[in-house]
Amino acid sequence: MDTLKHVINVLSAPQVSFLAAAIAFFFVFPPTDRFQSWNRRLRLDWLWTVKGGILLHALVIGAFFLSTLDPNFRAIVTKPDNVPIALLLFGTLFFLWLSMKQACDNDARLANDQKPNEYTDPSESKILVWPDLVYIELIAGILCMAALIFWSIALEAPLEEPANPTLSPNPAKAPWYFLGLQEMLVYFDPWLAGVVFPVIIIVGLMSLPYIDTEPGGSGYYSYSDRKLYVSLFMFGWLLLWVYLIIVGAFMRGPNWNFFGPYERWDLHKVVALTNINLSSLIWVKLLNQPLPDNIIIREMFGIAMLGFHFLVIPPLLAMTILKKFYARMGNVKYAVFMFLSMAAVSLPIKMFLRWTINLKYVVAIPGWFNL
Amino acid sequence: MADSKQDQADKLKAAGAGKAHGHVAKGHVASGDGQTRRSFISWVVVGWAAFAACMGGLATITMRFFAPNVLYEPQQTFRAGAVSEYAPGEVSTRWKSKFGIWIVRLDDRVVALSTICTHLGCTPNWLASEQKFKCPCHGSAFRMNGINFEGPAPRPLERHKIYLDDEGIMVVDKTVSFRQERGQWDEPESFVAV
Amino acid sequence: MAEEEKKDFWARFFGSYIWKSIFRVGIPRDRRGRLMQVLSNFFLHLHPVSLPKHAVKLKYTWCMGGLSFFLFIVLTFTGVLLMFYYRPTIEYAYNDVIDLRETTPMGIMREIHRWAAHLMVIAVWFHMFRVFMTGSYKAPREFNWCIGVVLLTFTLLLSFTGYLLPWDQLAIWAITVGSNMAAATPFVGQEGPGVALLSIGNVNLIGRTSDARFLLLGDTSIGAGALLRFYVFHCVFFPLIAVFFMVVHFWRVRKDGGISGPV
Repeated sequence: MDTLKHVINVLSAPQVSFLAAAIAFFFVFPPTDRFQSWNRRLRLDWLWTVKGGILLHALVIGAFFLSTLDPNFRAIVTKPDNVPIALLLFGTLFFLWLSMKQACDNDARLANDQKPNEYTDPSESKILVWPDLVYIELIAGILCMAALIFWSIALEAPLEEPANPTLSPNPAKAPWYFLGLQEMLVYFDPWLAGVVFPVIIIVGLMSLPYIDTEPGGSGYYSYSDRKLYVSLFMFGWLLLWVYLIIVGAFMRGPNWNFFGPYERWDLHKVVALTNINLSSLIWVKLLNQPLPDNIIIREMFGIAMLGFHFLVIPPLLAMTILKKFYARMGNVKYAVFMFLSMAAVSLPIKMFLRWTINLKYVVAIPGWFNL
Repeated sequence: MADSKQDQADKLKAAGAGKAHGHVAKGHVASGDGQTRRSFISWVVVGWAAFAACMGGLATITMRFFAPNVLYEPQQTFRAGAVSEYAPGEVSTRWKSKFGIWIVRLDDRVVALSTICTHLGCTPNWLASEQKFKCPCHGSAFRMNGINFEGPAPRPLERHKIYLDDEGIMVVDKTVSFRQERGQWDEPESFVAV
Repeated sequence: MAEEEKKDFWARFFGSYIWKSIFRVGIPRDRRGRLMQVLSNFFLHLHPVSLPKHAVKLKYTWCMGGLSFFLFIVLTFTGVLLMFYYRPTIEYAYNDVIDLRETTPMGIMREIHRWAAHLMVIAVWFHMFRVFMTGSYKAPREFNWCIGVVLLTFTLLLSFTGYLLPWDQLAIWAITVGSNMAAATPFVGQEGPGVALLSIGNVNLIGRTSDARFLLLGDTSIGAGALLRFYVFHCVFFPLIAVFFMVVHFWRVRKDGGISGPV
């Protein structure tokens, strides 16, 4: 049992678990036809059937409750402020399954030239709001209120020590819904992680309907017709948001070190994490030379990497696997779409480099631009 | 089909209107009271510019309203005792909770380090066993002299003005700070020589 | 005999001048009455009178949009109640929050407020997820999706500003980090990039007492000014803006063709 726990602790280290999740992700949520055929061959779409759903939920809920037998795990997940996170996780799993199941059903219907499940023939009479909808709203409201009151009686709202401006709690955590952002703050300068990224997320979400103007899949659950968009949305939502909330809530312990789910939160865990910039990594470690004085020459590898990522890869994709997509989108929409997607992909790349080689900045121009 | 025809008709109309407009604006077609259309348009521009300027001014004043003129800050200077009270190589947390200052005795000098993490303002903890300041919020770490080496902190901790008064007691003045990345750590007021 | 009298009483009650002046339409007994019920009621006029079948199915809507709104109402109600006991000053805030549980009658108001706030964040997220998965952001609902994103932002802002009010360790450090991000904003924060450009001669236009963080906190550090400001943001300013966007959001749902569905 202890060896199993130890193995899970090791595997849950972000460099392992994130990489595994990211690779598996594209097979479970295929963005292109190629991936979808792999998805079908591996029969991964079975997850979105009733049987698959039961298995999925049983596995996750079973693993969760089995884990609560472990005192370290229990100590963390049963904090009152972590209850909403558990709620969010099970809710996400359930609604993910529910929407994907309906999407797969509709995909199958559309493939057979049938209308989606949600379709109502115009000749059918409509449902009256009074009483049918009003009663549903009433019942939903009553249930919600009852649950809230029960929850409030059962669990006291947390209140910590009085504010002390000279002593930060260890670890000091943001509200759970900002844990993704707090995690970003570990890897990027505050003006990027705290200001630019939220703005990009908000503006990116707002621009979604103006980028995805394809008429298919409007008003019913579907996947196949809009797989690229759904896949990317899921990537941002599941891997960059929910995953980072899990990491931030359950796996960041004292001194903001990583701890496995069954690891004791040891105040004195020693982790050496001396940072290194890409420039010194290449110039000093690989080329055995002193850092050049000219900033542009010093940082040219990082700038080249950034340029390749944002300026070379999108046109390459447009000429190869996204050819048809590019033709449909046109220049402007494609550029905006690619900027947002490449930005979303660049986050985990930078995080991964930090986890593995302690890379601090890809481009470091102090006072101006640190990335 | 009907739609596209309608569209085309609209486009034609719009194009025609644009042309006519350009033409009239170029020529000086007098209206009833001798005022040209151009001068009318320029008055409209002036009017709107004045309106925009007023709104901008109002917005600025409103923003200014949020910046108070008088601050009630806690005491910014304090006497930190004699140099001899600090052992060589010691990081003293004596003034941490009261004034937010670590007194650090390095090899050749005593400095007053700010306890504010340069990343996002949390208070790091001094881990004596690892000889580093470690911030609990995002994992930044600083060496004893204040240089950052771990985590996201973009620059070293700030040092504050420290000097000996007439009685030979060190006084720390938090209103003046010295930053390493600006080359200020060798300024005479930033340390007390040992 | 008594039964008949009772019936008579209710018939007279519902037929009375006062009742009729309040509810113009009698108790709905047929299709027309039910339509009129929705049309003639201010609180129901948010709804259309009738809906396609899939619109009332839980597995389509998950009820999340409605629950978000419901939770907002719960939060407004409990929030106003809390305001009767809570004083936003450093001396009192923390003890008032303790008193809300220990000495105030119905000592779970703060609990309801806090858990409902968490629930609302979750409900808004799931609502967005549902709208995305059903492709309901597509034409003609593009702009309403944008308003929804604004509402999501304000939900988070409301929750975040409420975080400071208990004045405990969690509060002050979350706000320390949050407000220092304001200080890192390009050009308008003193730690942000580009701020050195904004100077006249040697004088910086943006400094410790003139940057975005200072405007937010009303001070150079988190103290009485910040607590009062966040209190006003949390209780008045943000809810008002959120209500404004909500009104537009709901109105646009109707004007953009009601609930989405396949054509």
